[in-house]
Amino acid sequence: MSVQDTVLVVGAGPAGLSAAATVAAMGKKAVIVEKEDVLGGAPIISGYAKLVPSGEWAKDAIGRMVSRVEGDGNVSIHKSVKVTELDGEAGNFTAHLSDGKKVEAGSIVLATGFTHFDSINKPEWGFGTYEDVLTTTQMEQMVATGQIRCPSDGRVPERVAILLCVGSRDRQIGREWCSKICCTVSTNLAMEIKELSPSTDVFIYYMDIRTFGLYEDKFYWKSQEEFKTKFVKARIAEVTKSPDGRLLVKGEDTLVKRPIVIPMDLVVHAIGMDPNVLNPEIAKVFGVGLEKHGFIDRAEQYTNSQGTTRKGIYVCGAATGPEDIDTSIAQGQSAGARAVADLFVQQKAVG
Amino acid sequence: MAIHEKTLIDPDRILQHDHLVVDGVDVSGSWNTMISPRTLVDYEPDFEKIIQSYSGGENVHRCWQCGSCTNSCTMYAQNVDFNPRYWIYLIRLGLKAELLKDKDIIWQCVSCNKCTNICPKDVRPEGVMKATAHWLEENGYTPKSFSTHFDEEFTHQCLEYGRIEDTEVMIGFFKRTGQPLVQTWIVQFGKGLAKHLPLGQLAKMGLNTIFRPKTKSWGRTGEVLAEYVKAQKEAVHHG
Repeated sequence: MSVQDTVLVVGAGPAGLSAAATVAAMGKKAVIVEKEDVLGGAPIISGYAKLVPSGEWAKDAIGRMVSRVEGDGNVSIHKSVKVTELDGEAGNFTAHLSDGKKVEAGSIVLATGFTHFDSINKPEWGFGTYEDVLTTTQMEQMVATGQIRCPSDGRVPERVAILLCVGSRDRQIGREWCSKICCTVSTNLAMEIKELSPSTDVFIYYMDIRTFGLYEDKFYWKSQEEFKTKFVKARIAEVTKSPDGRLLVKGEDTLVKRPIVIPMDLVVHAIGMDPNVLNPEIAKVFGVGLEKHGFIDRAEQYTNSQGTTRKGIYVCGAATGPEDIDTSIAQGQSAGARAVADLFVQQKAVG
Repeated sequence: MAIHEKTLIDPDRILQHDHLVVDGVDVSGSWNTMISPRTLVDYEPDFEKIIQSYSGGENVHRCWQCGSCTNSCTMYAQNVDFNPRYWIYLIRLGLKAELLKDKDIIWQCVSCNKCTNICPKDVRPEGVMKATAHWLEENGYTPKSFSTHFDEEFTHQCLEYGRIEDTEVMIGFFKRTGQPLVQTWIVQFGKGLAKHLPLGQLAKMGLNTIFRPKTKSWGRTGEVLAEYVKAQKEAVHHG
């Protein structure tokens, strides 16, 4: 395996798996380095339910991506390891892994993903204080069990409130970005809840609804028109508990211009996408820059798509900012192709 | 302390006794003013379904509050309190008390249908206005309209006699709506009729008014019909 034949892919979520498969399909070697002991990234590790927009279960859809690379002779996989040091330069990288092994590669694809916002950083919304306040990730796990119940006492919730923009679009906590997918994920979740528990009414508290592109009618309109999700324009100030054990959602209804204190049984935080908490370390090891929010910075995109600030290193998926799975996969292909193209250029130079 | 900016507060939220003595202290008037909170403490999610059960209201759940209806509204241009977008929101969440504050202007919709033509979600706001006005009327929040009075008189005669008598319908309608029985147009109509001397017709009308003919073997049919209509209505609006 020569340097000019190999692309190092860091991270095995949808973007990384797509990049590795692309490299392999183009006849080159892909070496995947994944810090977790399973492949699949956030959809698998966090136990997502049905994916947007395909409606396929995450374990099936992402599972296919995993078995595609596992069964490919051009792909080798290192699990539970990280890259601790990187030597060399474009065309001749040597990555040192935490298990002592070395990987030599001509180019590198970073598919290091994101970290879910930790709701504990918005204590006024009750996460960590009340058992019946959950995140979208936890709610997806509940959907996967096939039953919608309040964690506190197991009752079927009469009402579920989904709060949008938790950890997004909030200068108070230094998150000035829109996480892009939470609106769509929440409308999808509202439909899944109603499907499993028809007696439950779902309310979505929003500032704006950003179900972009074709997600508009497929998720937003459908959840409103067919699944009777109620959309309430109100930014929630506080979640508290009433003496009868139900949660109280406090805020101002922007459209009625009145304060509200509405009883709910379950409150779900539509958590945003943070930069990967390891990004400072990743930036240091790979010598790539971060943009102002802390995501991996991208080169100009018109002629250097998926490029980073460092030659020979490409980036794809949610590592560069909040991203949906389909786009991450497309970016993975794009980054994989860029990395392989570099190998050809290097072969010519050597040959 | 007296409240200086009372004009900013909804009058029905100001609670005040003109004469009140507490423990021998006179706290009449401003001295006992209390203000009830503005907070909305619950929704009535089923209210939307009730409005949807009235003809025209079927699509109210589709609204996403873009405001195109209010923007295009003929009545809104005359009266900024006439706000279909807002009422639709109240209906969707079941904020009935808020809706009832505007009960006396909702009927003002002129059915120009500009809202219905512009609505991007096909809510048909004009229909929602109609449905809401009907709900308000049927539940006694607004007085019965003339057309409702007419319908009731007409239906009453159908059920009672198995047929209607034009003169009786008009008389009943005038009585129900508190109008004089002799009106200018009737006098004109009578004069016009008299020119042609339709004696047979006049005699028939006169006799019918006195003897009130009934459809043969009508029996309990009217009763049964009335029960059926009532059951149908209940099934539609409360089922």
